[in-house]
Amino acid sequence: MKKGLKLTDILVTIVISLVFGVIYKLWSPIYSAVKPIGLHVDQLLYGMWFMAGPLAFLIIRKPGVALLAETAASSGELLMGSEWGLSTLIYGLIQGLLAELILALFRYKKANVLVVSLAAIASCAGSIVFDYFQGYIDALVWWNLGLFFIARFVGSVLIAGVIAYGLAKALEKTGVTGLVRGSTEADVRSLDD
Amino acid sequence: MEGIAKETWLHRVNPSVKLLLLLGVLIALLFIHNLNVMLLLNIVIIICFCFGTGISRKYALLFFLPFFLLFWSSVLTMALYGKGSTLWWEWGIFRVSEESFFRGVHLGFRALTFGLIGLIFVCTTHPVRLFYSLMQQLHFPPKFAYSFMASIRLLPIIWDEFHTIRMAHQVRGFSPGKGWKGFKRKLSAYAVPLLAQSIRRAYRIAVAMEAKRFKGNQKRTYYYQLSIGKWDLLFLLFLLGITGVVWVGSEWIQLLPNQDVRLI
Repeated sequence: MKKGLKLTDILVTIVISLVFGVIYKLWSPIYSAVKPIGLHVDQLLYGMWFMAGPLAFLIIRKPGVALLAETAASSGELLMGSEWGLSTLIYGLIQGLLAELILALFRYKKANVLVVSLAAIASCAGSIVFDYFQGYIDALVWWNLGLFFIARFVGSVLIAGVIAYGLAKALEKTGVTGLVRGSTEADVRSLDD
Repeated sequence: MEGIAKETWLHRVNPSVKLLLLLGVLIALLFIHNLNVMLLLNIVIIICFCFGTGISRKYALLFFLPFFLLFWSSVLTMALYGKGSTLWWEWGIFRVSEESFFRGVHLGFRALTFGLIGLIFVCTTHPVRLFYSLMQQLHFPPKFAYSFMASIRLLPIIWDEFHTIRMAHQVRGFSPGKGWKGFKRKLSAYAVPLLAQSIRRAYRIAVAMEAKRFKGNQKRTYYYQLSIGKWDLLFLLFLLGITGVVWVGSEWIQLLPNQDVRLI
């Protein structure tokens, strides 16, 4: 079998990602509106911006999909006229790369809620690194910075980990994942029977 | 984004060149810590956005609304919770100091500049031309570029489907209920059919493209031929010019304190 992503995989990934691009764009005003409440309630919502990668991986389960999905979703967001401008591209790339790294550590074999949550955490860490350069987050008062970290990590695990997993499970029931995942060993065995 | 802006010279700049140069500007912005310089730059960028992109006033305002929200939320978070020694105002957990306030304002302007640069790019770049240019100038694999272009065409269909689902729910009196359970039901009622249909459609398109012998490798002809030319040079000079104006201007014009907003 040929390695790498086929046209089908790429097209399916990018379509999913652009849907997320729209969601990402609509998410920004919600996030900004919640932000002044303070105490970093807004950070609980941040995880939404990591969701495309894990979800695309759960559907297609191939190397490179998470990176492609997150980058494509961020470009989609940019093309919608994102408030974050071109920096979404950099965020998307870092988040996608780190999520991909976690999935690679498990050799793309595991696709459970724990692995995608770890991938979400990695994306989250990546976003914080860029925030450090862009947003002077180290200049926040200590208790506030602590809350910031906790809220963002919890939000990432909940949205990009747990909800993404639930959504992928629901999609599996519809049978569409069979289109892209190709044949499994069980399928090959069933031919012999 | 097409059709809402008149064509200006920025539209003629090669999209890949524009993207790379603006990404460079973005990185450079991360190293501006001087509040006055940031403000002046912001004013120049706003002028460029209003007069350089050819966008109509109605759309400019429409795009601007979420930007203002982001600006104020960026200012407030840092101003209220940031570190600083010269205390201005304190109330409960809020503690506004001179340093944190100016840092907050700086962050607000930085966010605004980031966003506006992105918007200038998006308003003056046709997506199709962007992907054709990425393939021709940056050797982006056509497999990815055409997938992007096909997917962008699918978005309006997905939007229509969203309306259909919503109307179907209304007709049948679907009520997801309240709380966490209601949220879950609502999410799956919309997300699952929309995503499932999109995957099916993407799959069919990919099969059709392959049936038409779409190979997705570099050796192919292009309907639109894009090249690098005088407009790109002009754009580079324009960016350098802005840098010069802001640099020299910040010596003469002082609207906000000329101070470093970082922690010392």
